Amino acid sequence: MNAIEATTLKKVFVNRRGFWQQKRKSTVAVENVSFQVDQGELFGVLGPNGAGKTTTVKMLTTILLPTCGSGSILGFDLAKQTVEIRKRIGFTFGGSRGLYSRLTAKENLQYFAELYALKPDYSRKRIPEMLEMVGLLSRADDRVETFSSGMQQRLHLARALLHDPEVLFLDEPTVGIDPVGARELRQTIRALKQSGKTVLLTTHYMAEAEDLCDRIAIVNHGKVIALDTPTALRKRIRPESVIEITVSLDKASTIEQLIKPLDGKLRVESRVTENEHHYSLYTPAPESILEALAPSLQAKVIQGLQVRNQTMEDVYIALIGESERDA
Amino acid sequence: MRDTLRFALRQISVQLQIRTFNLYSLLLFFIQPAIFSAVGMILSRAAGNAKPDLIYTVIGGGILGMWSGMLFTSTYDIRSDRRDGILELLVASPTPLRRIEYVRTFTNIAASLVSLLMAIGAAIAIFGFTFAGMNILLLLLAVGLLLYSLWCLGVFLANFLAWSRLSGSLVDFLELPIAFLCGFMYPIRVLPEWLQWISVVVPVRWALQALDSILLKTTKLDNYWFFISMSFITATLFWLLSVWFNRKVDDHIRITGELSSI
Repeated sequence: MNAIEATTLKKVFVNRRGFWQQKRKSTVAVENVSFQVDQGELFGVLGPNGAGKTTTVKMLTTILLPTCGSGSILGFDLAKQTVEIRKRIGFTFGGSRGLYSRLTAKENLQYFAELYALKPDYSRKRIPEMLEMVGLLSRADDRVETFSSGMQQRLHLARALLHDPEVLFLDEPTVGIDPVGARELRQTIRALKQSGKTVLLTTHYMAEAEDLCDRIAIVNHGKVIALDTPTALRKRIRPESVIEITVSLDKASTIEQLIKPLDGKLRVESRVTENEHHYSLYTPAPESILEALAPSLQAKVIQGLQVRNQTMEDVYIALIGESERDA
Repeated sequence: MRDTLRFALRQISVQLQIRTFNLYSLLLFFIQPAIFSAVGMILSRAAGNAKPDLIYTVIGGGILGMWSGMLFTSTYDIRSDRRDGILELLVASPTPLRRIEYVRTFTNIAASLVSLLMAIGAAIAIFGFTFAGMNILLLLLAVGLLLYSLWCLGVFLANFLAWSRLSGSLVDFLELPIAFLCGFMYPIRVLPEWLQWISVVVPVRWALQALDSILLKTTKLDNYWFFISMSFITATLFWLLSVWFNRKVDDHIRITGELSSI
């Protein structure tokens, strides 16, 4: 049995405007999204803002009803068995909203423990455990309004895990958190996977998805445009290396003259910052390009040079770019 | 049963901490009724009444505090939960939203009872009002029915707030018209006949008439049981409507996505 199953899920929002002559405007947020997540798998949903990630999560967490299609969590039907699903899932939405700021961290968790009908003995033990896990035990009796957004995000995770759910939905869990806090949160997520939990994670941080997820679905305009393991996704696009070059603005023409004859051998992306010009040269044969660039390196025209393999970000940009062209 | 009670106590505690003990509630429960009562007394004196009619002045102020307490705090709960991103969490928990609303509305109304108690205190202190010769059990029953009527209206109106982001304005708009129909601002008998007919379905009107017949003895006690029955029947009707409506709301909010503030 799959932990999560989505079959051609579709969500259309209808906005009505006007009083006498109502105008209806339909927005397709998610269109025919299908995927299965195995039990114990850490599954990533990656996509730009407005791609339909959060709407998909809201359908899977029973907050929204799909317009078409079907789905199940641990075998329970999304449309008909909502209470059974709600008992077995935990979820967090990105940002610091979703907590009672005038209550303490402990009081917030106590309240949600009641909403999930946890036995008093169990919640008395579980609440400090969860606060400890997210590093907030020492702040248990402080009001949430005194917490930073990172601390609130961690408290969200504690809340989501309070009833020990089998399936966890984390919608952009590291948004707004500093790098150290984000790394700690990623370690916690990894530990959750190791403890056998099924996790569906949405993010637009490529490195996060690559680092954590067993499989990744890339979504854009409400559709899944690619779904595979990070390694397989990287192989999908042309295997290329990336040569990153930085030059001062006045030397940009020199580099452009150098790379112009190599036109067929590489793809160039460039951007200008205040004092520098950055080039990303995508090529299957980096050695020949480096050879061509060697004289400028010696003449100190090039200020910075780095050769790297393609990352998930490159895969993401290529796939999203492709889907934009198709759209 | 024990679980339900524990949940109710926790919800009451949360409700008191986050909503009830704040400046807004203080204004709602104490200041607003006091202004209403003062204006009522001034108007009554200007009309040549040596002794102002308690029900439309002092007691009316107390009832206004309870009415506003029910209307604003119960609806404000959902508005602020939606704004703070909590409404989605409540709906997606295994506890039905209806159950949460039941306890919240009860807490708000029970807390607003302080307005009525203050008003009765003022009536005793300023007007020499006394409980002597009153049937206290019948008085408590009338107060109980008043609370029940307000609670039924509160849980009914809460559905509208959950239904749509825009319905908050509708509830604000309803405040005064329904208050007129309750009969604590003006006597029901001075309203046009068609409005008097509409007021038949307002449970608070009957509970107030029952309270009036005990507290001020302005109507015959024989009518007391009629008022009590009407209050109970109309209030229960609103509660049944709220149960029916709640099922529609559950489906509707999952279709429209109106749970979030954006």
